[in-house]
Order: sequence, then structure tokens, then C-alpha cells
Amino acid sequence: MLQATTGSLTGTVLDPRGQPTGVFEPASMAPRLDTLNGKTIYLVDVGFGGGYEFLEEVVGWFSRNMPAVRTVLRRKRGNMFLDDPELWAEVKDKGHAVIFGVGG
Amino acid sequence: MATARFADYIARDTRNHGMALRFSFPPFPVVGMTRATLRKYVEGNDPTTGKPLMLELIDALTKPLTKAEKNPVRVRRPGRARLLETDAEENLHRRFLESGWTDGLPIVLPTEERVAEMLTGTSHAADEVVGMMTITHLEEKLQYTVEKVAVNAVMAGARPEHFPVILAIASTQEPSLPSSTTSFGRMVMVNGPIRDEISMNYGLGALSPFNYANAVIGRAWTLLSLNLADARLGETFMGSTGHNLNYNNMCCAENEEKSVWEPFHVEKGFKREESVVSIFRGWSVINSMGAANCVRPATEETAIMLQAFPALRSAVTLIMDPLVAKGLKEQGFRTKRDVARWLSENVQITAGQYWGADINYSFMGPVARQGVEPYATWAKLPKNELIKPYVDPNQMNIVVVGGESNPLWLTTDFLYTQSASVDKWRPKGGIRRDEHPLRMPVATSCADGTCGLPG
Repeated sequence: MLQATTGSLTGTVLDPRGQPTGVFEPASMAPRLDTLNGKTIYLVDVGFGGGYEFLEEVVGWFSRNMPAVRTVLRRKRGNMFLDDPELWAEVKDKGHAVIFGVGG
Repeated sequence: MATARFADYIARDTRNHGMALRFSFPPFPVVGMTRATLRKYVEGNDPTTGKPLMLELIDALTKPLTKAEKNPVRVRRPGRARLLETDAEENLHRRFLESGWTDGLPIVLPTEERVAEMLTGTSHAADEVVGMMTITHLEEKLQYTVEKVAVNAVMAGARPEHFPVILAIASTQEPSLPSSTTSFGRMVMVNGPIRDEISMNYGLGALSPFNYANAVIGRAWTLLSLNLADARLGETFMGSTGHNLNYNNMCCAENEEKSVWEPFHVEKGFKREESVVSIFRGWSVINSMGAANCVRPATEETAIMLQAFPALRSAVTLIMDPLVAKGLKEQGFRTKRDVARWLSENVQITAGQYWGADINYSFMGPVARQGVEPYATWAKLPKNELIKPYVDPNQMNIVVVGGESNPLWLTTDFLYTQSASVDKWRPKGGIRRDEHPLRMPVATSCADGTCGLPG
């Protein structure tokens, strides 16, 4: 109730916000590589416009500056919101690291 | 990698997912940039750190994990108290506005008494969980009860009679302003007897600010999306321009009585006597800007307008005055489905235009690469080849709204997402109307045109 006190109304109201549901289960990160030379790096286009072309330029940078790094450029099978277990399995099987891009 | 525009968002997002992935941020935007620009991005610096982007990327893959990265901390946001601290009315208004809990317009403060009164508008218990929402796909969802929906309904200026409709909308667990840089708009439409029970407008000016129920229900969806779906500007909401429809979400009802076709909810499998809300999502609304059949039939005019849309998933919703529907039926379109089929068969754009739409590139490009037809064939066509992009007439909807001042309509790219029962949320004793219900003036009209004339 809003009550009049000394010429102004005072009261108690309910918080309009929903309740956090959150238990966040942290997952550990993969260990890092000692070097990229001699390794296979997957570059995965997640599907936002311009991302594939950007990653092509990253591939180009590696070939010019670090030719001992093998790069494999792939597109995700579905759009940016979908899972792609087959691609993840390929990366785990044949790759040493993965770069996802480009968000936004 | 994500563009630098989303660096803040990523920092918050990593907390939500419990894994602080290593990110590098090229400049933005990436979309639409020339190869020369993209190469400069790659060879230049991460604007958020000033460090060379590629060296940062190599470090991300090779520098050993830190202690914190090896031992991620589980973070949980605390639960919120039911009541806010007691304060003066003007301070409470300031707090709601400055906390981002409103749409910028004055609200009705949700005192316990007002919320208790709103709760008489349903038979469901205050602590019953209605659902969970987030305006993004993967952020933490917030859980909300019947009482939380009531709080936001009070804020919107609604009364208990509107509460079953607002609860039905909340039960869809879809926010009115889903977060996308593209800035979505929404429509919520009501069918069934509830329309007249709470005096919604589905006639003249139904989409304009002339009806109390339409106004507060549409607004309530926005407020509960802000507060129950965790919408925070720049943190979770990233709409680049935003969308003005987010204020009221085109809240209206269907003019079932004047429609020559089946009501929308009946098409979706509900009984005519059921009261239902249906929600839609899209980007664009084009006004017909002139009456049907003046020079071209409405179908041909609509076909021209539909060429401007990307035709993503064939989504179309036409919002047409009853006069347009009558004209179309006289022309031989016995059902709404007949109109949808005609449009599907007659709207053509070039393959280049289709694939040139960013949204088709992102969403249908992968589908084409998987070999799904007709997209796989379309992807191989020369740019100037014509295609019929609205392949699925079942995604093309028609709703009849309006007051027959002229045969006019709105063409939208809105996708129908779902319907929900209003009846489920009714109070046991019937809709809870105020003793003197608030009603705005209604359009006066009579068949012989004499009403409103002096003498």
C-alpha cells in the first residue's frame, strides 16, 4: 500500500524480475599446444555473414607466415545455433586445435 | 573469434556457460566488408587489446592454461527477494525506470494490494511456475510464477480482466523482443469469446492506440519480456536499431465476425468457442498504401510487396481488412489457403536476390549444402534465374483485422510461432471485471450512416 506520510506517498512494491535459475556447470578447457608448427588447425565458419571470407584470410595469413601449420577450413553443417557432432568428431580425430569464427 | 562489438557480451556470456574460452576480437563489422578490408583486419590489431590479432590467436592456442582457467569457478546469481525496500513513491518510480525495468513510459507501481487484486483474475495459485525465458538462445533463463506475471501486468496498467490473456502469452515462454542484431518485431493476436468479454478492438483502428485492452495486453508482454526474460540493453539485447513494434507488439484481435474465412485459431486446430492467443515474429511490415482492386488485385499487389522480403522459411502474415477478404473470396479464393497457394505459385525473385539476403545466406546456405531441395538446386543457379521462394504455403498466414473503411491490408514477413489457450487461465467465477470497467470510446457506425449526425 502507498501511504501518505509528510505530504508524499511511501510504499512497498514487488520486484518485477524473474528468478535466476542458474546452476552453471563449468567445463574445463582443453590443454594448450606447445607449438602450432606441424599441427592441424581447423577453422570453423559458424555461419554469420563475412565469417567464411574472414577465415579464408586467416588461412592465407598462416600460409604466408607460418607455412608449417596445416589449416583446414570448414563450414558448420547447420546455422549458427545448431550443433554439428560430425564436424566435432572430425576435428577431434584429425585436428589439434580449432578456431571458431566469426561471431557477431 | 567474435567481432569486437561483442567483446563485452562475450565476457558476460562466459560466466553463464562456466567456461572462459579464449577469444580474439577482429574489428567490426565483418559482414559486407571487402577482401582487402578483411585482410587488414587479420593483419592488424585486436581493437579491444591493441595487440596483433594473429599473435593473440596463436597465444590463445599455445600459452599454458592459467590456474583460474584450470579451476573455473561456479557462479550463481542470488535469488531475488519478493519485495523491494520501502521507499517514497517518486523514488520507486525512479528506481524502476533507472533499473531498466520499464519501457520508459510511466508505470503503475506493483504494490502488494494491486498485485493481489490482479491475481483475482485467474484461478491459478500465485506461486505456480508459469515458465522460464531468456531473450537470447543460450543465456540463463529466468523463472517466473503467476505472481511475477501479475506484477508486470499491474505495471502495464492492466486490470484483472486482462490477466488470463497476459498469462496465456507468458505461458508461451517467448519474449516479445528476442535478442538479435537484426531487431525482431512481434505480433500477438487474440481469437475467441475473450475478445468481447474484455472489449478488445478488432475493427476500425485495431492496431492504433484507441483501445485499452489492446494497449495494456501488448504492453504487458513487453514488460514481462524485459523483466522475466532478462533483457538488458547492450548486455543481452543487441538489436542494432531496435524495433518500434517492441512497445506494443501489434496487439489486436481477429475480426472473426466480419471475416469470410475460418478464424485463425480454428485453422490451427482450436474450436471456435475457445479463446486463444497466437504469436508471430518477424521484421517488416508494408502497408498496402492504397485500396485493393483499384488498379491491381490484392493478390498481385501483395506479390509485388513480397518480392522485397528475403522469403526466409516462406514466412508471410497478411493482416487484411474484412473488405479485402470479401473481395478475394468473390474472386474465387474460397479459403485463406487458396490465397497462400496463389502467392506461393506466383511470387518470383532471382536466385541472386535470394542468396544475396544475409539471412538466407546464413540460414538456408547450410541447408542447401546438405542437399535439401529446392535450396540445393537454387544454390547452383545463375544469379539472374528466377525462383519461387515461397515454397511452403503452410507458412503463409492471413488474419482478418479492421473496420471496413476501405479494402486495405498490411503485408509482413512474420512467422507464426505458436498459440496458447487463454481459457486455461480463467478464474473459476468467470472473467473478473471491475464494477465500472475502463473503456475507451468506440467507433460509432450504423448501416444507414445517420448516427453521429446532428439532430
